[in-house]
Amino acid sequence: MDLVLQLLFTGIGIGAVYALVALGFVLIFRATNVVNFAQGEFSMVAAYLMVVFSVDLGWPYWLSFLIALGGMALLGVIFNLGVYYPLRHRTFLPVIIATIGASILLSNSVLAIYGPQPQVLQGWFDTPGIQLGPVYLDSQYLLIIAVTIALVFFNYWFFEKTLLGKKLQATSQDKEMASLLGISVSTMIMITFIYSAVLGGLAGILVAPVLFVSIQMGSTIALKAFAATIIGGFGDVAGAIIGGLALGVIETFGAAYISVPYKDGFAFLVLVAFLIFRPQGIFGERVAEKA
Amino acid sequence: MPLLEIRNLVVRYGEIEALRGVTIAVEAGQVVTLLGANGAGKSTTLRAISGLAKPASGEILFDGESIAGLGPEAIVRLGISHVPEGRRVFPGLTVKENIMLGASNRKASAAQISREADAMFDLFPDIRAFADALGWTLSGGQLQMVAVARGLMAKPRLLLLDEPSLGLAPVIVQAVFRIISQIRKDTTVLLVEQNARMGLSVADHGFVLETGRIVLGGKPDELWGNEAIAAAYLGGHAKASA
Repeated sequence: MDLVLQLLFTGIGIGAVYALVALGFVLIFRATNVVNFAQGEFSMVAAYLMVVFSVDLGWPYWLSFLIALGGMALLGVIFNLGVYYPLRHRTFLPVIIATIGASILLSNSVLAIYGPQPQVLQGWFDTPGIQLGPVYLDSQYLLIIAVTIALVFFNYWFFEKTLLGKKLQATSQDKEMASLLGISVSTMIMITFIYSAVLGGLAGILVAPVLFVSIQMGSTIALKAFAATIIGGFGDVAGAIIGGLALGVIETFGAAYISVPYKDGFAFLVLVAFLIFRPQGIFGERVAEKA
Repeated sequence: MPLLEIRNLVVRYGEIEALRGVTIAVEAGQVVTLLGANGAGKSTTLRAISGLAKPASGEILFDGESIAGLGPEAIVRLGISHVPEGRRVFPGLTVKENIMLGASNRKASAAQISREADAMFDLFPDIRAFADALGWTLSGGQLQMVAVARGLMAKPRLLLLDEPSLGLAPVIVQAVFRIISQIRKDTTVLLVEQNARMGLSVADHGFVLETGRIVLGGKPDELWGNEAIAAAYLGGHAKASA
């Protein structure tokens, strides 16, 4: 039982990272009808920005964190203007290919600057963790879970309680109608890209101390997050979060009880099972609302 | 000077010339109805006015200023509100949220907009009970009410209404037209209708479009009086409600 609780904690922690990246996928998908294949690279770039500011330049952790997130917001702007905006009137295919191109550009740029050796980033806290009864709570995982919970509430408040959130929803449901009402569609999409880049960046910074900071970390996280959005029901915000958490828990238990080398395999086994038996995902029927 | 004046408007969709030189004028305070068969160019005319379709040539003057070529976001800020074909109520937002977003063309606080949306239910009492229902749960008539209420939230000087009666039961059509005759007290309306009888019943002036051209214009009784036109475009009794 102790082990189960311990694994559950770790699983939810890693699942929260998938959930944050998945949320970025879903928000961009809803606003633009395009899957952003560079979403994982946002996490990777943010982790490297942390390494630059916090490790290389030796700036305080919190300051590096704020600047890295600011950098991600800027990257969101550049990404929107450089990748999405010029192709916005085209079909989804050119845009998807452009996001794949951007993803390759981002990872190779970082590779050119930093080389292939993985970097190490310290966690936010000096204390490694606390023992709570039978369960050891790693401080970084605690932080990840706390930030994710806070963001879920923020997300709910922002999209459900503010007029700006409603305008973003309206834009994602019917761009032409939104523009007829005087909603600036290009501004709404810009906000979506900034928010998604910051979310992805946050996930990368939070997970970096748990993993190594490497060029590949983005694509690994993004694949899991993508699987999470499909399991949750593509395009559904709650589904992305539930799917992410579920995936983290499943792969952690799979690794502990069945096989460590096949850890990543479990996530994709679940994905394949969902694609065969419930392709619309857990919250799939709600996706139809968007149509 | 007319509030809206369109001269020789040409709109093309690729190779197809949807409008081939449309000229109409809408005086302030009037209800003007645009009649015509499917594909005659009625919706395209409205889409060109609101900025959804780019004119290939011709002029669109609103209050004497050219608005041809402006984007929809800029045009609605000038005071032209377009309630498009098919209602286009946001399915995942509630009725009240839909109506509130109608004020996106002007500066007002969220609290102010919320109060105005509540007041809108006095004009549309039938949808008051559905204020918190999501758009996709509504019936066609309710959707039409929401769409018109949302259009009015822009406080438009000119309201463009595209086929408000389409697909609605006759009793609902009458309710919608009762609302149009109330709106006209404060707002100029350019109405597109296939239902000629209903469309002309509220109109001060009517135009008949045929394959991208205006073939006839005049007061409703003049249009009814023109026998050939009445038979061809306005329909007999059998076709009038079709």
